[in-house]
Amino acid sequence: MPRADRAIIIVFLSVVFLSCLILFPAQAQKKTQLVPVIRVEVQDINTGARIKISSGSTLNYSLRKSGNILTVSFRSLSGLRYDRRPFTSRLIQSIDLAKSPEAYLLLIKAGNADFSYTQSARWDPFELTVEIRAGEARKAVAETRPAPPEKPAETQAQPQPQTTVTTEQSGLQAPGGKKQVRTIVIDPGHGGNEVGAKGVYGTLEKDVTLAVSRKLKEAIERGLKYRVVMTREADLSVPLGKRSAIANNNKADLFISIHVNGSRRVKATGSETFFLSLNASDEESRRLAYFENNSAELENRVPEKDFDDLKLILWDMAQSAYLKQSSQLADFVQQELNELLNTRNRGVKQAPFKVLTGAACPAILVEVAFITNPEEEKQLQSEDFQARVAEAIYRGLNRFLQLYEKP
Amino acid sequence: MKRKKKKLTTLFILLGILVVVLLVFFFGGRREKIRHQAGPSVSASGGGQVQEVKMKRVTLFFMSESDSLLHPEEREIRAGTLNEEARAVVEELIKGSRSGLLSTLPETTRLRQVFVTSDGTAYVDLSRQIMEASYYGSSGEMAAVYSIVNSLTYNFKSVKRVSLLVEGNERETLGGHIDLSRPFSPDYSLVAR
Repeated sequence: MPRADRAIIIVFLSVVFLSCLILFPAQAQKKTQLVPVIRVEVQDINTGARIKISSGSTLNYSLRKSGNILTVSFRSLSGLRYDRRPFTSRLIQSIDLAKSPEAYLLLIKAGNADFSYTQSARWDPFELTVEIRAGEARKAVAETRPAPPEKPAETQAQPQPQTTVTTEQSGLQAPGGKKQVRTIVIDPGHGGNEVGAKGVYGTLEKDVTLAVSRKLKEAIERGLKYRVVMTREADLSVPLGKRSAIANNNKADLFISIHVNGSRRVKATGSETFFLSLNASDEESRRLAYFENNSAELENRVPEKDFDDLKLILWDMAQSAYLKQSSQLADFVQQELNELLNTRNRGVKQAPFKVLTGAACPAILVEVAFITNPEEEKQLQSEDFQARVAEAIYRGLNRFLQLYEKP
Repeated sequence: MKRKKKKLTTLFILLGILVVVLLVFFFGGRREKIRHQAGPSVSASGGGQVQEVKMKRVTLFFMSESDSLLHPEEREIRAGTLNEEARAVVEELIKGSRSGLLSTLPETTRLRQVFVTSDGTAYVDLSRQIMEASYYGSSGEMAAVYSIVNSLTYNFKSVKRVSLLVEGNERETLGGHIDLSRPFSPDYSLVAR
C-alpha cells in the first residue's frame, strides 16, 4: 500500500509538473514576444556621447530636443519595456522611459541644453544610434518642425562635393539649402500576402503598383536630377509605418504612394490623387491649430513635460505640417494624369490614409484607374499605360520641385 | 487490495488530467484581450402580449450605382437606449439597402458590440469579415468606414466621433488604406447632395 501510494503520488506530481512546464513557458514567451524591449547603451566619445538604442523588433520612432532633454518617442501599440542598465557619462545624466497617451517616450536628460545630435538607424535588428555633441545647440533647436529627418546611415555618392551639415533640416524651403540632391521616395502600394484590390481577370493591385513604381523610378533617374528610394523593390509585405519611416530616414523631399483603385461599383472609373485629411479628434485639432499659431509662445509657457506630449501629437501626424504643399503636389500630378491618360478625372481629394500620416515631407497617394472595372483593368495590365502613368507622375512632381528650385 | 490500488491510481490520474484541464482553462482564457460585457440585451417583448413598440426614423448611408457617393435611405428602427439604437443602425447597414443602393459592408459581417462613451465616441466592434470591404480598394474601404461613421453621427447628436474595432482589437487599417487608429469625425463631403 505505501509503495503504491508513493507511485500514485509520483505519477500525480509529474503530471502537474509537466503541465506547468508546457503551459508557463508558452505564457512567458508570448509575453516577451508581444512587448518589445529596448536596450540602451551609453558611451562617452571625445566630443560628447554616443547612445545606442536597440530592440528585437522594428520600432517607428522620432526624435526631438527640448531644452536639456532629448526625447525619442516610439509608437508601439503592444507596449514597450525598457531594460534599464547602469551607465556613466559626462554629458548624459539620466535616461528614463515615460508613457504618453500616444506613445512611449525615452527621455534622455543631458547636463545642459547646449548640445546637438545626429542619428542613424538600422533595421533588422533595430538599432538607433544617437550621437550627442556638446556646445552646438543653435542650429538644432531653431526649427519648429515636428521631427528632424534622420541622417541616412551612409551618405550616397553625390555628383558634386558638398558640405553636409548634420543638424540641418532637409526641406524645400531651407534657406540657402545646402542639400543639393533631392530624394524622392516611391511607395508601391501593398505587397506580399497583402494583395490589395483584385480585377475580374485576376490582376492584383500589388503587381500593378510595383510595375508603375519601377517605371516611375526609371523616368526620374533618366532625368538625372533626383535620387530615388523605393519602400519595396519586390513582392514584399512592408508595414505602413515603416514606409513613412523609410521616407523620413532618407530625408525624403517627396513621398509618392502609388495605388490602383477598386470599388464594389463595377462601373467606377477614373484616376484621383489624395493628400492627407487630418482624422484628428476635435481636441487634437484645436491643440494642433493652437500650436501652429503660437509655437514660440507655447514653448515658453507650457511646462516642458506637457510640451513634449504636444509635439508628439504633431509628430504622430508629421504630415500635418506639409498639407499645403502636399495639396499643391497633388494638383500638379492630377493635372498631368488627366493630360496623359484618358481616364476620367476624379480630382484631388483628402482622406486619412495611414501611409501618409507619418511622412515628414510633401506626400501624396495616387489612385490610378479602377482594377475592378474590366476595361481599366486591361489598361492597367499594359506596359504602355503603366509607362504613361509613370511619365505623368514624373512631370507632376518635376513641376512641383521646380517651384522650389533655387534661382 | 489490488483492485483498490488500481482504483486509486485511476482516480489520481483522472485528478491530474482535471488539473491540467483547469490550468489550460484559466491561463488559456487570459489570451483574450478585451473581455466584453454582455451587450445591452434587447428586451424581448412577451410572446402574445401586444406591446406598444416605439419606433424611430433613421437615415442610413449606402453607395449608389450612379456615382461613388453615399446616398441616404430612411428606415425605422425600434426606439431604445442610445447603445441599442446605435446598434440597430449598424445592423441595418449590414443588412443592406432596400431601395437598390449598394451595400458598403460585407453581408457576412457580424456586429459584435456598439458602445458610446460619455465624451461622444462610439466604438463599433465588427467581426473580421469587415476586412473584405478592402477587396474593393481604397474606395471600398472609404465607403465602408464612412457609411458607418456618417450614419451614426447623422442620427445621434451625442455621437461626435466613431472608432472602429475588428474582433475587439484596434487595427491600423482594414486593408492598407484608411487609418483606423484614431476616431473618425463625419465626412459629409462623401454624401450626394
